[in-house]
Amino acid sequence: MDIAIAGLVCVVLAAISKKFSLPSVPAYILAGLIFGSGGLGLFTADKVSDTIAEAGVIMLLFYIGLNLNPREISEKKGMIFHSGLYDFLINFSLIYIISVLAGFDHTRAFLVASALYISSSAIVLQSLIENRKLIYRESEIVIWIMVFEDIVIALLIVLNNPETSDLIFFMLKVLILTALTYLLSGYMPKLIGGLFQREDEVPALFAFTVALLGVAFEEFFQIPAGYTAIMLGLMLSGIKRLKEIILPFKDVFLVLFFFFFGISVNLSTNGLVLGLVLAAVAIAGKIISGLITGRHLLKSWLSGLEIGLDTVARGEFSIFLIFAFGSGSEVSAVTAAVVITSIIGAFLSKNSEKIKISASKMAERFSSTQ
Amino acid sequence: MVRFIGLEGVGTKYELETKSGDKIAVIFLLNKRIQVYIQEKSCEKPCSIEITEMEAKRLSSILGGVPIEKERESVEIDFMGVPDLTLAMHTYTVSKKLHGKTIEELAIRKRTGANIVAVSRSGKTIISPPPHLIFEEGDVIVVIGDKEQIEKFEKEILGI
Repeated sequence: MDIAIAGLVCVVLAAISKKFSLPSVPAYILAGLIFGSGGLGLFTADKVSDTIAEAGVIMLLFYIGLNLNPREISEKKGMIFHSGLYDFLINFSLIYIISVLAGFDHTRAFLVASALYISSSAIVLQSLIENRKLIYRESEIVIWIMVFEDIVIALLIVLNNPETSDLIFFMLKVLILTALTYLLSGYMPKLIGGLFQREDEVPALFAFTVALLGVAFEEFFQIPAGYTAIMLGLMLSGIKRLKEIILPFKDVFLVLFFFFFGISVNLSTNGLVLGLVLAAVAIAGKIISGLITGRHLLKSWLSGLEIGLDTVARGEFSIFLIFAFGSGSEVSAVTAAVVITSIIGAFLSKNSEKIKISASKMAERFSSTQ
Repeated sequence: MVRFIGLEGVGTKYELETKSGDKIAVIFLLNKRIQVYIQEKSCEKPCSIEITEMEAKRLSSILGGVPIEKERESVEIDFMGVPDLTLAMHTYTVSKKLHGKTIEELAIRKRTGANIVAVSRSGKTIISPPPHLIFEEGDVIVVIGDKEQIEKFEKEILGI
């Protein structure tokens, strides 16, 4: 019953946000916050909603893996590395420092930095398409930054994993899984690709099962489910049809994840204030890293500003990391920061032309007064 | 010079700079829609349109320089990797004159050099039709060949 109502709320929100071309991710989270235990108390998280939420993030990560074709990535590795490097260095360290200053210990500061370093691929790519920016070179760099971040996510999941009693053994298991993925990514699509071309229920059922296999891996081998999901996706990225099959599953479960996540969060005043500070730093950080990346790769500060403005929005990955590994006030803080940056980020990306014009006028005035 | 690049999570981008310095970019989005950008050399801001696959096909026929008529439509295909290769495909509707005859009987390839590569009959398509296929009035046939072969085909087989 609860799920049907949650779904209905999300359908309405999705339709409204599409109509006004606003990002839908913050809408789902805000609705969850309002209806959930911290708000009106109409919904409470239970076992079923937890399972659905977990399925949602696993689907998302599996889908990310599917889009990371090892062969195509390695052809562009130079571009991807140079585009994503400053973004990582600047944003991760900035948020880490602010989190430590706010009184978090190093493990939690590392988690907050991991969560808020990563932009929302969903919002960022959608605004590039909707705001018709795909002709520009800057947009390509933005896309490479997103790919770089997708790869770093896999690493951050491993590094944030708390249940590591035996670090060497754990790392060994992760390495074996990674090596297996690499070795099998050439064979698996040929071996089982045919299963996804059938006309019966096998393709959908099998795709759904493979996507969720990560959870089973976590139980048997104690490897983080999210990491396994990305690796399984990578391994099967050669099967084009699989992406089409899994997309509707991902859409449904991920939307419900945002909503159920919102329900489970109790926004504290402290968290909210810290969230505001983190949001401001997160926005400034992306603009700075964008400026430097643009100056470095396209020899233009204005291109850099465009890159920065386009990458401000945080979203699904931040929420996933804080959902999977967070526990205390950092959950409130990151949630608040995501809601703020996603809305402001979408706005900045939409109005980047105007902002660039005023920025260059300001720069001219500044240099003429000098 | 066409530049081609895969954009992860977005689609595939083709970029073309014309001799005069104008820029055209075509992006095939993952949701099957296609964005076309045109940017004049002296202009800062590009114009863009978003079209469906069908509309893109229409556009490509127009740009291919072929007048589109319902009865006789043709498409030219250029291959990015083989710049010299251009395939022309023409469609015709089978008239009463050909009704009941087979490809073999008409000796189409022998007489004209052109090939029938597909036949569309009441919504169903037969790719590479066998020589013994019997034409019916109203069939839409797809013929492939160079200019000379097509002209011969029109003259000798269709009688137009």
